[in-house]
Amino acid sequence: MDKEQDDGVGLRRIQEILYRLIVAPDGVAKGLAQQEVTMPAGGLAALIAGDDRMTAAERVEIYANGYFFRLLDVLKEDYPATLAVVGADAFHNLATGYLIEYPPTAPSIYHAGSKFADYLGTHPLRARWPYVADLARLERATLESFHAADAPALDAGALRAMAPARWPTLALRAHPATRLVESGWRVDEVARAVADGARAGATIATPAPAGASVAIVVWRRDTRVAYRAAERGEDEALRLVLAAGGASAGSTLAAICEAIAARVDPADDLPALINRMLARWLADGLLTGIEH
Amino acid sequence: MKRSEFPSLGFGVGLRRPHYGEILETRPAMDWFEAIAENFMVAGGRPLEVIDGVREHYPVVMHGVSLSIGSTDPLNRVYLRDLAALARRLEPAWISDHLCWTGVGGRNLHDLLPLPHTEEAIHHVARRIREVQDLLGRRILIENISSYLTYADSRLTEWEFLTAVADEADCAILLDINNIYVNAFNHRFDAHRYIDAVPAQRVAQFHLAGHADHGSYLLDTHDHPVRPEVWELYEYAVGRLGAVSTLIEWDDDIPEFAVLAATAGEARERAARVLGTTLAAAGAIGAASRIEPVR
Repeated sequence: MDKEQDDGVGLRRIQEILYRLIVAPDGVAKGLAQQEVTMPAGGLAALIAGDDRMTAAERVEIYANGYFFRLLDVLKEDYPATLAVVGADAFHNLATGYLIEYPPTAPSIYHAGSKFADYLGTHPLRARWPYVADLARLERATLESFHAADAPALDAGALRAMAPARWPTLALRAHPATRLVESGWRVDEVARAVADGARAGATIATPAPAGASVAIVVWRRDTRVAYRAAERGEDEALRLVLAAGGASAGSTLAAICEAIAARVDPADDLPALINRMLARWLADGLLTGIEH
Repeated sequence: MKRSEFPSLGFGVGLRRPHYGEILETRPAMDWFEAIAENFMVAGGRPLEVIDGVREHYPVVMHGVSLSIGSTDPLNRVYLRDLAALARRLEPAWISDHLCWTGVGGRNLHDLLPLPHTEEAIHHVARRIREVQDLLGRRILIENISSYLTYADSRLTEWEFLTAVADEADCAILLDINNIYVNAFNHRFDAHRYIDAVPAQRVAQFHLAGHADHGSYLLDTHDHPVRPEVWELYEYAVGRLGAVSTLIEWDDDIPEFAVLAATAGEARERAARVLGTTLAAAGAIGAASRIEPVR
């Protein structure tokens, strides 16, 4: 108590109290009234000076509003399709709940929305929009791909230069910007409809997506991010390549071919399918480097 | 600290996403750009392609928003490592951040919160600035922020606080003229007294921006043109502090690049008028750095 009188409230305590008041979900005044924050003797006045223009609580409220609306804007920008599906009002409430459960911790605001799909995955709104968490996961994957590390795309020429006999043991590595998003709904079609609508400046219609198991490939080529539904067999092949990552060697071409063979119709022309798939991966830059 | 450590770069604008394509494709006349450091502290992709392309043709300064130099949490080592890595990549003319705290308890408010003007805060912040400067191997600039509240603990004026921190840390100052104007209204002080009091040899850069009038307070929104009253204050600052590198900030409702360029041009004209000389445009910035302030 004596210390408080000599030195005031002190820097640490000021910051802890102010933080709690700024993020209080129902505003500063309610945050104070509900005693969510242990205040120093003398209450808020011992911390912040009010005047004839504004009370101390109103001054903190400026920061509280700034906090919420700044992060709401970030979430809206990061998740435009999710926003289009649920609408502005529901999205506003989702943002409120999300920030309580997952308050930002990273220095960069890019990370503020990184757990939004996880939050949606357990939210009651799933009853109405069961696919919305997957849609948000796809939107996050495109953002991650946009900022992912640079790496040279595997060149088709390098592959062709190698004797075909060595191909089966080649280890393929995914490019750092390549992602695979799996869903029980065609959320890629929803995302595309929203993006096309935004580009055309049209009202965005978001029909409920078809319920179909899909693996969506997300990749980056020349700094542009794209996505599409994987072909049958291709999803398992990409899963293998992506699982390899890190320090471990990539998945071998032989293992990839086996995985595809196990998934496709025996009547399909397997070599043609694998050729087409590899050619597309190389053209799109889904792979980087090979080890042999 | 010698002024010559931070030569005048002339009149620049903040590098913002809507202008990336135009700047890279048309290379408009511009003395220098200020890049928000965090926008480029990413692993790869378009942001790094953009900043490398800009850096190739213009002087660049790194301006951070997440250093949180005033927080009572430990300095974020990962953030500082990434900041240092970006600095190695860009070789910026200098690095700046704000005299504020942005979070506590491992949480981030993504806002610039004011500090109480106390001895405790001065020593705390100055010690941390020194640590950051040692780590980066260079002097940094700290910027005065806009604020909407005053702490009961504060015993000093804002300019006394800023000066004490800069002196004790031996760092440079990024003087935001709009923030001084905003705070002069919000906290009822004379903006000219502020400018009279800052240590001239430490002021290495000016910021200019627009704000919004909310009646009982002014909000630093960076979504408006620079207001006439702020231009007047800028001229007063140039009169006292000389041809300091000047930068136009615009972060919301961002206009076409030409509008920003014209605002930088207006700053150049006003500074020249105050100093009774002409300040050359990009390509001859060496001349501007030799102009001494009129006392």
